[in-house]
Amino acid sequence: MSGVKPLAVPADVIYTYDGSFDGFLCCVFESVYTRELPFGILCGEAAPPALMAVRFIAADREKAERVRASIPLKISGRALELVTTVFCSCLAEKELRLLEFLLRAYREGGTLCAKLGDAAVAPLLNAEKRLLGEAHLLKGFVRFSDVGGALTAVITPKNYVLPFIARHFVLRYHQEQFMIFDKTHKAALVYRNGRAELLRIDHVAFPEISENEVRYQALWKRFYNTIAIEGRENPRCRMTHMPKRYWENMLEVSDLVHPAG
Amino acid sequence: MDLMEKLTILVAGAKYDAACTSSGADRPGKTVMAGCCHTFSADGRCVSLLKVLMTNYCVYDCKYCVNRASNDCRRTAFTPEELAGLTVEFYRRNYIEGLFLSSGVIRSPDYTMERIIQTLQLLRRRYDFRGYIHAKTIPGAAPELVRRLGLLADRLSVNVELPSERSLNLLAPNKKREAIFSPMKQIRLETEQNRQELVVYKKAPQFAPAGQATQMIIGASPETDYQIITLAAAMYGKYALKRVFYSAYIPAVADSLLPAPDVKPPLLREHRLYQADWLLRQYGFGAEEILSPETPNFNPYLDPKCNWAINNMHRFPVDVNAAGPETLLRVPGIGPTSARRIVAARRNGRLGVAELKRIGVVWKRAQYFTRTSDWPPNTRPDKRTAIRALIDSTVYAFGAEQISLFQDTPGIRPLPTARDVGTVAEAVEEAVLCLASSL
Repeated sequence: MSGVKPLAVPADVIYTYDGSFDGFLCCVFESVYTRELPFGILCGEAAPPALMAVRFIAADREKAERVRASIPLKISGRALELVTTVFCSCLAEKELRLLEFLLRAYREGGTLCAKLGDAAVAPLLNAEKRLLGEAHLLKGFVRFSDVGGALTAVITPKNYVLPFIARHFVLRYHQEQFMIFDKTHKAALVYRNGRAELLRIDHVAFPEISENEVRYQALWKRFYNTIAIEGRENPRCRMTHMPKRYWENMLEVSDLVHPAG
Repeated sequence: MDLMEKLTILVAGAKYDAACTSSGADRPGKTVMAGCCHTFSADGRCVSLLKVLMTNYCVYDCKYCVNRASNDCRRTAFTPEELAGLTVEFYRRNYIEGLFLSSGVIRSPDYTMERIIQTLQLLRRRYDFRGYIHAKTIPGAAPELVRRLGLLADRLSVNVELPSERSLNLLAPNKKREAIFSPMKQIRLETEQNRQELVVYKKAPQFAPAGQATQMIIGASPETDYQIITLAAAMYGKYALKRVFYSAYIPAVADSLLPAPDVKPPLLREHRLYQADWLLRQYGFGAEEILSPETPNFNPYLDPKCNWAINNMHRFPVDVNAAGPETLLRVPGIGPTSARRIVAARRNGRLGVAELKRIGVVWKRAQYFTRTSDWPPNTRPDKRTAIRALIDSTVYAFGAEQISLFQDTPGIRPLPTARDVGTVAEAVEEAVLCLASSL
């Protein structure tokens, strides 16, 4: 686009921020106001060893709110949805890609989201698809065990899916109390007394499970081992549908990844 | 007998029934409209429901069935309390999405249905169970019982079992064609009536909101693929079925009327039937476009959609920037999702090859059938190249044994087996030559 002044020009600077969504929005704010496109955006306060200048962008609620409000206003509601979802994904360099997307979208408007084949948009849509796909799989793959009347589960997803599966489990277990601990992202979804919360937790210690729980776990394993038809074994097909990285948290197949002993 | 043993026997008796998904019901508290798989068993099939029999006692003697009366095996039955309790505990732990309940016929069809209804009533009333329930209606049961069952379950199904009346009479002498199709018809009528009631009164009890399904056994009787697909298409139309499931016959019991016990289940054929079924339901194909009386069986090497495309080369290439969605769907390499995305994306500018690839089109196959602003290049590839790209490589994963189960498709030479050729690449090359000369 010759003749049109770019919203930001490449600059030899690296932004660091605290990893929160507000922090990221402040990076967008910084980039727009200084008219510079950083070389990279990194999470964490520790400055990386680099030859470039490193600037820490502090999360500021007011600035973040301004950026957040500007997206549906100047681009579209769909753009805000896409940005929030991709921010929870495990896409490499997601912050920089999102910033580049936003800078273009401020210029081109909401139609950019509909350019499904665009080189800047397609990776974001792909990351969104993967995240939603993982969330869908986990709706089925989460295994709860009953610990003193409350249900507990551990997951180790690649993407930060807890916000995307919360609604499902709250509706499914609206009369129960439950917790899903995301070991990868050190977060937990806790639902008790009709209220759901997302908490930051480093570690959870689960008590020993009861005899009754052991019984149902054994029944489930027996069911799983009986339901397969011998003449049709197909390990590859099973792995395609249920990738091995989920197995460690799934009662019926965890023995296959960590043989007992 | 303790619960563990009962579960083992009654699951083993139910596992051959394929009609098991959890899609389509919309209940309060149930948030996944599409099916939700909770695990995949060692045979690679989705497990979303607790698939069990109420009992494996059976007064019928269907030749192909493990639970036939004359088969000497251990028999047992769940009490409604046991089964309801088990379902609820499994559901709580997120092991399952619901219950898939079938049964052998104990005493009489009506008695069996009453046991099933009792279990479902316990679940829905006492436990306030909001999960999915798929129940089998027992052929020959009273219409009133079918109605009561439909008000408790999300989906009902009646198995047609075999693709023709002749085979049914031969292999399932106690089941009459009439006893299978009359509940199917009843379910369709009740569902339609219920839909009208729901318009008038939102809280009217729902009758089988996820519709009805059926399954048939493939390879136990001599019907051709064309007959099977035509029957499926007719049932989709006539009884508004949601799904027809195909189950490759696995020799469970020996009988002179059945294939020998050492015959392998026709898995590749079953795979092709499911592909064709998808074309009927999602791609707008008619049964007579997929197969015809002249070519009554599938081509083992090409999936039905590619096979159709190769035989209808005059309809291609399709201009992706102009063609309607139903035309796009016919292009090998473009499915419902990418067709939808193409239609959305082309409103904002013309699509080229790079865009199509990023949208998710399988370019390896689609390149021979599409036209875009920067495609095709001047020289068009010959038919042989196109066929090479379309050959279904999963065929070789199924193995030569599976291919040999196909009845001879006219024009196709006996196909190369793993023994004849060294590598998969060689096998593909030979199949390409074979197909190019015959299609």
